[in-house]
Amino acid sequence: MNMTLFDVVGPVMVGPSSSHTAGAVRIGYIAGKLLGEKIKKAQINLYGSFFATGRGHGTDRALMAGLLGFRPDDERIPSSFALAAEQGIDFKFGEAMLREGHPNSAQIILDGIYGTHIEVIGESIGGGRINISHLDGQQAGFSGEYPTLIVYNLDQPGRVAEVTAMLAGRGINIVSMHLQRSNRGGNAVMVIECDQEVPVGICTWFEGHPGIEKVKYLNPEEYSNV
Amino acid sequence: MYKTLSEIISVCEKSGKPLWLVTAEEEAAEQAKTTDEIFEEMRKMYSAMKYTLENYDPDLRSRSGMTGTAGAAYEKFAAENKSLVGEYLDMVIAAAIKTAESNACMKRIVAAPTAGSCGVLPAVLISYEKFKSADEDNMVKALFVAGCIGEIIAKNASLSGAQGGCQAEIGSAAAMAAAALAFLEGGDNECIASAAALTMKNMLGLTCDPVAGLVEVPCVKRNVSGAVNAVSYAQLSLAGIRSVIPADEVIDSMRRIGRLLPECLRETGMDGLAVTPTACEISERLK
Repeated sequence: MNMTLFDVVGPVMVGPSSSHTAGAVRIGYIAGKLLGEKIKKAQINLYGSFFATGRGHGTDRALMAGLLGFRPDDERIPSSFALAAEQGIDFKFGEAMLREGHPNSAQIILDGIYGTHIEVIGESIGGGRINISHLDGQQAGFSGEYPTLIVYNLDQPGRVAEVTAMLAGRGINIVSMHLQRSNRGGNAVMVIECDQEVPVGICTWFEGHPGIEKVKYLNPEEYSNV
Repeated sequence: MYKTLSEIISVCEKSGKPLWLVTAEEEAAEQAKTTDEIFEEMRKMYSAMKYTLENYDPDLRSRSGMTGTAGAAYEKFAAENKSLVGEYLDMVIAAAIKTAESNACMKRIVAAPTAGSCGVLPAVLISYEKFKSADEDNMVKALFVAGCIGEIIAKNASLSGAQGGCQAEIGSAAAMAAAALAFLEGGDNECIASAAALTMKNMLGLTCDPVAGLVEVPCVKRNVSGAVNAVSYAQLSLAGIRSVIPADEVIDSMRRIGRLLPECLRETGMDGLAVTPTACEISERLK
């Protein structure tokens, strides 16, 4: 893994484990951001080592803390269950039945207060870093470290070109790109990690564009309390 | 990025710059920031280490019940003049356990290089600052020296117990701390490299076999061994005693040994301490 100086001396985090605690906070955080509204109901399923040792590592509390919008160094992480209950969030934990998953995986199913429903599978890949492997049943594959644009489009020719041309026009450079469709001519999900932030205007333009159903945008700099 | 310690040391010699500055400048270039900004970022890491120790809760226990109160117990023992060793080493031992216990009890720590080995650097450095009334800027410089060693280890071997066993975690933390201490005591780059080499050499082969898969047993108390080793071998190096095997070669040995360690001893809980009758009993109780 490519490590910087502050991966070696750092990060500042709530213990006990970078993969089972800090990474879990980040998975929860990204899932909460992807929902984009206050959480009404959360079903959190653990897989592999997360399921086997998660309780002792505080993985469950860490995931919940992330859903509440906390950073991995937030000292309120151990008390996240009580804080979630205070906010009226109905949450449950279970075991994830994944066909094949990274040993440190969590499946998070969220319902928002305005009716949005999402399902995220996140993997904690070491050193507090994560990979969002699935979003709403489709393969995704992004780290949450970069500004990330998620476009739900119809599987039609030219949709990718339109989106990337728009980004290029604004001088936005693409770090990584992932595209997956459910079936020919059906629904597709485009996940684009960018070097620069994507202006709100672009997201709105995409949303009104034919062949694009909805757009989600994730800005990792915006850590805050949801 | 520099690949080996000998390479970065030769850059220091050619430029006449100290090791900590070359490390800081390299990170500044990487992040497109100024060296001052990087220095302040490192100071934050040092402050966060102090914060953990200052906020140690002597009554806290981990969720598993295996960890807690040991740091306070050792401090009490030392305060009663029962200790065999000097004041500095007493401070090092207490701080190593206190930080590692805080980690196990879900308190805020600095992973350096990992959460499981987070007690080693603060134990050696913060105790030094207190004991010597040292200047904080110097302590931050020492953290850059430690970081330089850690980066070289990450590049050429591993910092992960699952990949290389505990030698990669506590072993690396100890080598980093020894280098930092050699720097603080005025050692030149050769002395710093030798301190890291001697320390790592004497922690090679350590397995990662924690009870119930948790970062508690033996991890918490092994932080003491890492910290005390670091002090011992920094002392040897400062006395002019050199490692026969150079640091880069020791690090490469750590990589090879890590690969040879059977998987059952690399954070899988399949052998070693993790399968002892007592460990099995504890795991069963936690289910």
